[in-house]
Amino acid sequence: MSNSENSASPPDDVTPDEVTVTPDTTDSHSDDDSSATTESAPRRNFMTQVLAAGIGGLVGLIPAVTGLLFFLDPLFRKKAAGNGDAKTGGVVKDSEGRILLDVSLDALPEDGTPQRYTVHDDIVNAWNKLPNQPIGSIWLRRIDSATPPVIAFSTICPHLGCSVDYRATEGDYYCPCHTSAFKLDGTALNDIPPRAMDELEVKVTGTHIWLKYQEFRGAIQEKVEV
Amino acid sequence: MIRSFLVWLDDRTGCNELIREALYERVPGGARWRYVWGSTLVFTFALQMITGIFLWTAYSPSAQSAWESVYYIQEVMFLGNIVRGMHHFAAQAMTVLLAVHLIQVIIDGAYKAPREINFWLGLILMKIVLALGLTGYLLPWDQKGYYATQVTTNIMGATPVVGEYVQQIAQGGKEYGHHTLTRFFAMHAGILPGMLIAFLGLHIYVFRRHGIKVHDPEHAPDTTFWPDQVLKDAVACLGVLAVVLLLAIFKGAELSPPADPAQAYDAARPEWYFLFLFRFLKFKLIGSLGLAAGAIYIPGIFFGVLVAMPLIAKLKKGHRFNVGYTWAVTAGIVALTLLAVVEDSSNEDHQAAIAEAHRDGQRIQELARGPEMIPVEGAVSLLRTDPFVVGPRIFAKHCANCHRFNGHNARGRMIKVVDPNDKSAHPVGIVSAPEATDLGNFGDREWMEKVIVDYSNHFAPLRDAAWYQALAEDEKVDDLNPDPEYSEMAGISVEYAEAFGKPENKQDLASLVEYLVSLRSWRGDVDQFNPSLVERGRAILDGDPLADGTEITSCTDCHDTIGEEFEYTDEGSGYPDLAEYASADWLKAFIRYPGSEQFYGERNHMPAYGPTRMTEEELDLLVRWMTKDYSPTEVEEYPSQLHRVPLATGVTNGPAATTEPE
Repeated sequence: MSNSENSASPPDDVTPDEVTVTPDTTDSHSDDDSSATTESAPRRNFMTQVLAAGIGGLVGLIPAVTGLLFFLDPLFRKKAAGNGDAKTGGVVKDSEGRILLDVSLDALPEDGTPQRYTVHDDIVNAWNKLPNQPIGSIWLRRIDSATPPVIAFSTICPHLGCSVDYRATEGDYYCPCHTSAFKLDGTALNDIPPRAMDELEVKVTGTHIWLKYQEFRGAIQEKVEV
Repeated sequence: MIRSFLVWLDDRTGCNELIREALYERVPGGARWRYVWGSTLVFTFALQMITGIFLWTAYSPSAQSAWESVYYIQEVMFLGNIVRGMHHFAAQAMTVLLAVHLIQVIIDGAYKAPREINFWLGLILMKIVLALGLTGYLLPWDQKGYYATQVTTNIMGATPVVGEYVQQIAQGGKEYGHHTLTRFFAMHAGILPGMLIAFLGLHIYVFRRHGIKVHDPEHAPDTTFWPDQVLKDAVACLGVLAVVLLLAIFKGAELSPPADPAQAYDAARPEWYFLFLFRFLKFKLIGSLGLAAGAIYIPGIFFGVLVAMPLIAKLKKGHRFNVGYTWAVTAGIVALTLLAVVEDSSNEDHQAAIAEAHRDGQRIQELARGPEMIPVEGAVSLLRTDPFVVGPRIFAKHCANCHRFNGHNARGRMIKVVDPNDKSAHPVGIVSAPEATDLGNFGDREWMEKVIVDYSNHFAPLRDAAWYQALAEDEKVDDLNPDPEYSEMAGISVEYAEAFGKPENKQDLASLVEYLVSLRSWRGDVDQFNPSLVERGRAILDGDPLADGTEITSCTDCHDTIGEEFEYTDEGSGYPDLAEYASADWLKAFIRYPGSEQFYGERNHMPAYGPTRMTEEELDLLVRWMTKDYSPTEVEEYPSQLHRVPLATGVTNGPAATTEPE
């Protein structure tokens, strides 16, 4: 890579205090005609070439490969799970990654009116840990007759990712961007969204609500996690 | 197919001619090892480009993320320590190779006409490389780089007329901050490498124009650059790479604690290849001339001679002068560097500062690896709230005038006084005797045992305090005199020493100690207790005779709150309140109000550390450190220096000594 800087000058530039050129240096164009003065020279010259190229390549390759492996670090890294610790202001999670919401079952209206909540999680960003950061929002409805007695939808519209509102006057969910509309159970009311609203997994223990927060790809019929 | 492509390419670019010129230039007198230095420099620069660009992909230049990203590169990312280590050590290798290359050029006369321009280009390249080293030193934003670079920018500021402005421009403001880093980074990764490439191109171009300065044309038959000289160059580069790699793997680039403008860094030194200049500036004569003279003018004159060498060479014996000058300056630089190294290695305070920086550096990395990782305010905020790091600093500042911690000031430094007999110009000082008890083992089992059976000796350092001597002289007060007429506790301790000194009562002493340490609210160092010992200890305290039947004075006869929960009330019985003795709450109250009736009352001579002397936060950190209440650490404590502290006045090898396990 860096072995070419020592090549010398045009031959007409020899200064007087230097020794003149030996006569056999005709302009060289093949690999081994320059110093072939003895019979063993071509063979020795070949070995020299192999060694020179080999070692020259090696000294370039070592740092380049090391650096490249370093650059590929993200491929060797598992997503760091933000293990919650409520004592230090972190978010509490169960073993399956469900987040304990800071709203209890009692706080939800009994008539099933959807309530919007912001979900928090601990975010790990390389060397930083940011406890209790908002990561998204959900619609929560209390349905005492169902199991579990709470249903949760992502507020992200499955159409193109706008935020879905609740319209109290119509009693439906409605996305103002492209007029997607959904029933309160999440099924589509028109042909604009490709699928029903994205329901999120919920577990209820006592009055605690645990939620598995996920996001899904938009604009396709299947519900595929991002 | 390939051949026809090459023909096509050559037709349009003439690349064959270029390659031929590059590879088949003649080397009169044969390939020589002495020609490799330029090549190794180009190689090292290429190595810096490769590792530097990869480091760039992970480095974040801001005051809250520079140290953190370097920590992450070094400690978390795959092969990060190797990539950073290579960059770190190759930078140093480059400086060395640069010096060798320069000396070689001067000795061989390769700077003389017609090569003057190329010599000057080389000197410019040298300045660029040194500037790269200097700007790179700051980028990790650690204490070492931060304080060393402060010196450099202050030197900049000492330049007459424009200095102040140059400094502000370089720093991106009057103080160091985010913009110091963004600017230094732009210089280090953009402007300087760009300049280096440009000047290196010119340097190589001019070099080709004149050809190799042949050292000895009769040395061997002529050859060509490829492959003979290339092989030698490649082997030399391999050697450089091997050294750099070995250093990166086995030594590793250090990352000192994150930069903290509020925390002076006593171990500050420039990178070793600038040490000669640092030492030069320390000469009194140079110092008296002012910073600008010592750091700018005088080195400027030395450099000026270097620049003038091609002209000097035209004079009679000019070349000889140049060679002599080069060796003289080299010898001077080597001598100054060695002087600085030798002085530092024999300077106890400097070594202690290095040890402390190393300890803090290890601790902060330990905290950063912890479950809470690094807060967005940066790693320095972790350090400022860590008892293990801050506690010793508070102790050294407030307590170490009288107390010691395992013989030193809790930060590994000895407290010294000037020896009146030392008439030398720079007296080293002698270790002074403490005037209060060493607190290295405060509240642990050993401490409790000594208070019980060796009271007079345990608190003996008090006898060396001026207040004590004054009192002892005027009023014949002697709090440590084992004669019960003077000191009740010292007298009782003699009784205890006698009773517990009997072999059959040894276990009872351990039980009493175990019970006393178990009474405190949680402490980090002693949290496992032997329940049977605790039970026996409680019984002894309640008045049970010892194993051999001896009946002893119970502690609770005077210290009647032992076993109760500690609460500060400012009321006392005349005896120090020992409820939860040595717990965090007890210690906090004691430091705040040592002269309270609840503690020593009128007999107290320790200054009270009220909120104006020591903030609540400082008190909390100090006490948490002394009670070992911090996240577990593998960082080694400072070694004990107790053996170096003079024995306190009046320490006896009385009966207490027999209870010592050794």
